[in-house]
Amino acid sequence: MSEAPILSVEDLAVGFTGPDGRRTRAVDGVSFSVAPGRTLGIVGESGCGKSVTSLAVMGLLPRTGTSVTGRVLFDGRDLLTESERTLRDLRGDRLAMIFQEPMTSLNPSYTIGDQIVEAIVRHRAVGKREAAERAVEMLARVRIPEPARRFHDYPHRLSGGMRQRVMIAMALACEPRLLIADEPTTALDVTIQAQILDLMRALREETGTAVVLITHDLGVVAEVCDDVAVMYAGQVVERAPVEELFRFPQHPYTVGLLGSLPRFDRARGRLAAIEGTVPDMSRPPAGCRFAARCPFRITRCETMPDLVEIGGDRATRCWRAPLEELAA
Amino acid sequence: MLQLIGKRLAQLVPTLFFVSVLIFSLQHLMPGDPALVMAGEERDPVVIEQIRKQYGLDQPIPVQYAMWIGKVLAGDLGESMRLKVPVSELVAQKLPVTIQLAVMAMLIALVLGVATGVLSAVKRNSAWDWVVNVVGLAGISTPNFWLGIMMILLFAVHLGWLPASGYVSPFEDLQRSLATTIMPAFVLGTAIAGVIMRHTRSAMIQALDSDYVRTARAKGLSERTVVWKHAMRNALTPVITLGALEFGTLLSGAVLTEQIFSIPGFGKLIVDAVFNRDYAVVQGVVLVTATTYIVLNLLADIGYILANPRLRS
Ligand SMILES: Nc1ncnc2c1ncn2[C@@H]1O[C@H](COP(=O)(O)OP(=O)(O)O)[C@@H](O)[C@H]1O
Ligand code: SF4
Ligand SMILES: [Mg+2]
Repeated sequence: MSEAPILSVEDLAVGFTGPDGRRTRAVDGVSFSVAPGRTLGIVGESGCGKSVTSLAVMGLLPRTGTSVTGRVLFDGRDLLTESERTLRDLRGDRLAMIFQEPMTSLNPSYTIGDQIVEAIVRHRAVGKREAAERAVEMLARVRIPEPARRFHDYPHRLSGGMRQRVMIAMALACEPRLLIADEPTTALDVTIQAQILDLMRALREETGTAVVLITHDLGVVAEVCDDVAVMYAGQVVERAPVEELFRFPQHPYTVGLLGSLPRFDRARGRLAAIEGTVPDMSRPPAGCRFAARCPFRITRCETMPDLVEIGGDRATRCWRAPLEELAA
Repeated sequence: MLQLIGKRLAQLVPTLFFVSVLIFSLQHLMPGDPALVMAGEERDPVVIEQIRKQYGLDQPIPVQYAMWIGKVLAGDLGESMRLKVPVSELVAQKLPVTIQLAVMAMLIALVLGVATGVLSAVKRNSAWDWVVNVVGLAGISTPNFWLGIMMILLFAVHLGWLPASGYVSPFEDLQRSLATTIMPAFVLGTAIAGVIMRHTRSAMIQALDSDYVRTARAKGLSERTVVWKHAMRNALTPVITLGALEFGTLLSGAVLTEQIFSIPGFGKLIVDAVFNRDYAVVQGVVLVTATTYIVLNLLADIGYILANPRLRS
């Protein structure tokens, strides 16, 4: 982590108040950072707050009934305190995002070319024609065959994988400094998944864009990411460079995600399929959120552990870390 | 796409045939012998028999239908027994009046309905949304005749701003024409505006929650572009279809409203014809309105196909 991070999220918390007045804490205590040219993976089970976190960074959460606290430092300024106008200028330009649902993320009534052109014209002082040339160039860069012809196609003519390529082309059209990809391959076939991941990796190398890659697939993390943040029940519970995380997971939940580790097998059996369920976030437990499912639970776990640095660019949210000592 | 439109056009023929048979047979189910009505005071069976013969009323029903439809296709809708003028002439006289009223009402309905519907979707669950919904519901459920009478009392009788009744053609005097039609158009328009508002609102809410709107916002587009371009383009298609159908209903003549404002349109023509058992007129008017309705329906469908890229290719 030599270079200063382009995005640094500190103690982000997001709460939703429903029409019935019930408050849900979707996310709290989320901290992570990404440096230019690096890829940070955010992993966690469905519903743990990954999408909410990324939408909070983008400033795309619904405005009514939502409270967002903490700091989202992008290029040195806190996006949570910036005006909507400033955020609009950043979005699609220096800050871009692609989504989990390629089939529905493009407007069915406009051609894909028009939709890319729209993004370019919004942020660059160029005419329609120049923007169209740039759009065709982007379609070629995301390896869409016959880009000049595809430019005039409506989204329904394209497969899911092709539509996700269009989304990537659109997101990268203005050369963003940060790309957030929220489960970009989850909705796609395995072979297409691999193609899209390859493409993203190649484009990151070409452009030097920092990437936040959200996924629930540790295989994807191992393949594409430099660093990882593991989320559980709205919190980051562990953060580490990717090889370190796989070699020495420092949170019992990460251990569970990784499947069995021989040393723990002796201690308490397999965690692979983690038993129990995620806590109800409208009434989160006071102590460690993982306690109900944790084989290492002790009395102290009834109070909430902080996310603490444990050296080597790592942090974990567990009273019993470092875990190696337990196994020894 | 052409195939789709062709298929839709082909459906037109059996529909029109069915409607014409229906209209023709309803005629024969109506009580009262038309020959007797035509004869008036005359009770001489010889005269009545002659009338029967003259109008083909003595022929078998299918033959009567064939004779009738043949004439209709040639543009001959028969003759008004009471007014002794061709029905087609009456239609040509009254239809423009009703069209003018319908166009004005539709404009009012679309502008009011779409604008309020979109704003209420954007500001959903706000005080504004609530007010618009209550007013919209009131608009739908207020009987036209009541609103019409209230408007006459206020704007004509009390304030004296507008004439209470009558009609002037726009080709004669545009300003007076608008003055005589604005109240009935408003009465008809607001009733439809409520329906359009509710449809627009729900379609817009759905569109605003969609993934492509999120993408549009992620591009940094202004809220105005997001709402009026990205969401609207998709939300409006079903609303336009609804508008076309409502327009068809308006063209069939707003009987009560025309009556209240003494507008000499289709509604008044048909009411007079029914009361006088002027069968040829009833038949002609119903046929024209039914055909217009069916054709508008078809246009709405074709418009829907054209507006939808998925169907277009
Ligand atoms: N707009 C919203 N209003 C209320 N609750 C929400 C909203 N968006 C997300 N949530 C809740 O926040 C939690 C985290 O959701 P999400 O971030 O989508 O999870 P995931 O990690 O699968 O992306 C879920 O329990 C979800 O129901
Ligand atoms: S704090 Fe306690 S309950 Fe929570 S993960 Fe660590 S050991 Fe398990
Ligand atoms: Mg998600």
